Amino acid sequence: MGYLEMNLAEVIEAHDAARIALIDGDTTITFGELRDRVGAMRAHLVASGVRPGDPVAIAAGNEPLFAVASLAILGVGGIVMPLNPSSPPAELQRKLVSVAPSMVLIGEIGRRLLDHGDIITSPLVDMTTIDPADGAVPPIVGRQPGDVAFYMSTSGVSGVPKVAMLTHRNLEFVQEMSVSNENPLLDSDVTLGVLPFAHIFGLNVVLLASMRVGACVVLQRRFDVDESLRLVREHGVTMLTGAPPMWQRWADADVPDDSLRSVRRAVSGAAALPFEVFAKIRDRYGVEIEEGYGLTETSPVITSGRGAPIRATSVGKVMPDVEVVLVDPDGSPVDVGDQGEIVVRGEGVFVGYLDDPDTTASVLTEDGWFWTGDVGIFDDEGYLFLVDRVKDIVIVSGFNVYPSEVENVLIEHPDVRGALVVGSPHGETGEMVVAYVSGTADETALRAHVDSQLSRYKRPTEYHFVEELPISDNGKPRRRELR
Amino acid sequence: MATDFTMEPAPDLPGSDRTYKYVFGGMRRLIDRLWDIDVSGLEHIPREGPAIIAPNHLSFCDSIFVPGVLPRRLWAVGKGEYMDSWKTRHLFPAMGMIPVDRSGGDAAKAALDTAAKVLDGGHLFMIYPEGTRSRSGNLHKGRTGAARLAIRCDAPIIPVGHQGTVDIQPPDSVMLKPFKECTINFGAPMHARDFGDPDDPRILRRFTDAVMFEIAQLSGQTYVDEYAGKTDTPAPTPITAPTPGKPSPNGRAAEITLPPGRREQVAVNA
Repeated sequence: MGYLEMNLAEVIEAHDAARIALIDGDTTITFGELRDRVGAMRAHLVASGVRPGDPVAIAAGNEPLFAVASLAILGVGGIVMPLNPSSPPAELQRKLVSVAPSMVLIGEIGRRLLDHGDIITSPLVDMTTIDPADGAVPPIVGRQPGDVAFYMSTSGVSGVPKVAMLTHRNLEFVQEMSVSNENPLLDSDVTLGVLPFAHIFGLNVVLLASMRVGACVVLQRRFDVDESLRLVREHGVTMLTGAPPMWQRWADADVPDDSLRSVRRAVSGAAALPFEVFAKIRDRYGVEIEEGYGLTETSPVITSGRGAPIRATSVGKVMPDVEVVLVDPDGSPVDVGDQGEIVVRGEGVFVGYLDDPDTTASVLTEDGWFWTGDVGIFDDEGYLFLVDRVKDIVIVSGFNVYPSEVENVLIEHPDVRGALVVGSPHGETGEMVVAYVSGTADETALRAHVDSQLSRYKRPTEYHFVEELPISDNGKPRRRELR
Repeated sequence: MATDFTMEPAPDLPGSDRTYKYVFGGMRRLIDRLWDIDVSGLEHIPREGPAIIAPNHLSFCDSIFVPGVLPRRLWAVGKGEYMDSWKTRHLFPAMGMIPVDRSGGDAAKAALDTAAKVLDGGHLFMIYPEGTRSRSGNLHKGRTGAARLAIRCDAPIIPVGHQGTVDIQPPDSVMLKPFKECTINFGAPMHARDFGDPDDPRILRRFTDAVMFEIAQLSGQTYVDEYAGKTDTPAPTPITAPTPGKPSPNGRAAEITLPPGRREQVAVNA
């Protein structure tokens, strides 16, 4: 044992102690201070009986304590389970029951959970009260690359909440890609940390990748459009990473048009970025957004817009050392130039869902191919374009109807605010297209609008008019709630 | 059935003006006498300018009857194997067949370039979107080549649905049975620009599916979302296996294993 040992917690070890690692409001934390605080937390964890392989949960927001806790848990060989600190306690308890973590470390943002010790059965530890280590600081424990580092909650591929197991090497592989590509993340970069660190995108692409290169992360605990742009200006943010709803708000913000002048790379992920948002950011601020693609199960980056000229509405090119094949439902690759389900293999691919071998086997093969459940197509230059989720496809008389295509046509109508499309059983055609629409448009107007733009089999048979549509905070449509 | 016919000499393109004129002239008279062909939608065929004729494919004789009822000369791709037989090696190319090597690669690209030349010259070009004959009788998933060509040459696709050619010439039969009926329906021209941004690759499947839907309406076939002859026909496009450790955008793997959980789904769909 040992010759391959590593630990993700080492990402902060090599940097100059005086470099600034985190900025949190008026507080700055250097890498030296961060190492001290992480060391103290390691001492606390070891004293509390946490052993290598033990899961420990964190209920904290985008605050220094999140970084301290996660690096400390990894450092003692534990498994980090980040929780959304604003989730209802009962929901957190449901997630924790199967994991039975040694404790739940609570940051400033999750403090209200301290009052719910009756609901959450795991020990709750208030991190704000942990004192600096006065005794010896335990060293970072060596781990095997395939040892599990994170339990990430996801409802991703199958729609049912699950815990994806990601290893030290999974995350390291994706971090290495951020520093080794043609337009790498640099130690001189300043990153805005506003995407939630409890999700893989904010965790690995923003926080841990920045820590690895020695870049500075400006923390924003809760998204606020004006405050985030103020932080960009004040700290000269160079790497601005957000989800489409954030980019939408930044595009429409009441700020000077030079507000993003310090930004050298703008990145969007988590959901499809509407072209209008891309164009507005480009035209207004002179910044082109790189779209990427990935899933929790792939740590997450599969494709990225960096290092190549940006193509709007494409999610970029496949990362080096990652294999992607587009396949038919039976697993045979589609023609070059045709679309199919995205199947991926690489060192970022997770090792499975916790305690769920059946679901794992339904998406991950023994030889390492992960079936993403997303349909995509490459252009002649290798840029990937996403089409839709396999499970959301509506099949009418044998023909595939991709809901996003119908939704995009509906949204073009001036009186439509939002639209989601799902399938519903139909006696003659197998399934029919059903549209849920918010806004002020009426059915007659929509039918006339759609008739001129879509083939007959794609046109909605039924329309339902609703106040609100189920769309997640980061912009993903939740169509299954309508089926 | 007889329609006025325009020859459209094209000395720069593959094929022999004389052969096409005399062979198809004779064939058209023969078709008229021996078979009862019900043709509709000929008004959709432009009298001049390029168009892609996209029929369903059930029998070898589709390549006789569809061109035989058209008012204009056309060119078409044919499988490269026709160039291996003395019976077809000279006649078929003279008739405007552009041989395509179905093992793919540069040869397939060359065929596509020739097809583009036909369209750019303002002529008709016929391609079977299914890529090969449907043995099941169902209409199969269209290959995206016709859509690609339509975008490249800014040419419309004319969907064609026919019935009855299998009775005239069943699979593996050399002879055509006379005095049978056949229906050929031409649909309205379809333009790629109506299906999205031509620079966005997602238009290829979207446009292809829309064409297949129209063909299904015209032929009355049941559509199945699976390539025709998947198991017995080599793919018409390059096959490159992804090498571990190398990026392989849209490469073809030798084999992608199916997760066990999916096997049932596939079995149910099939």
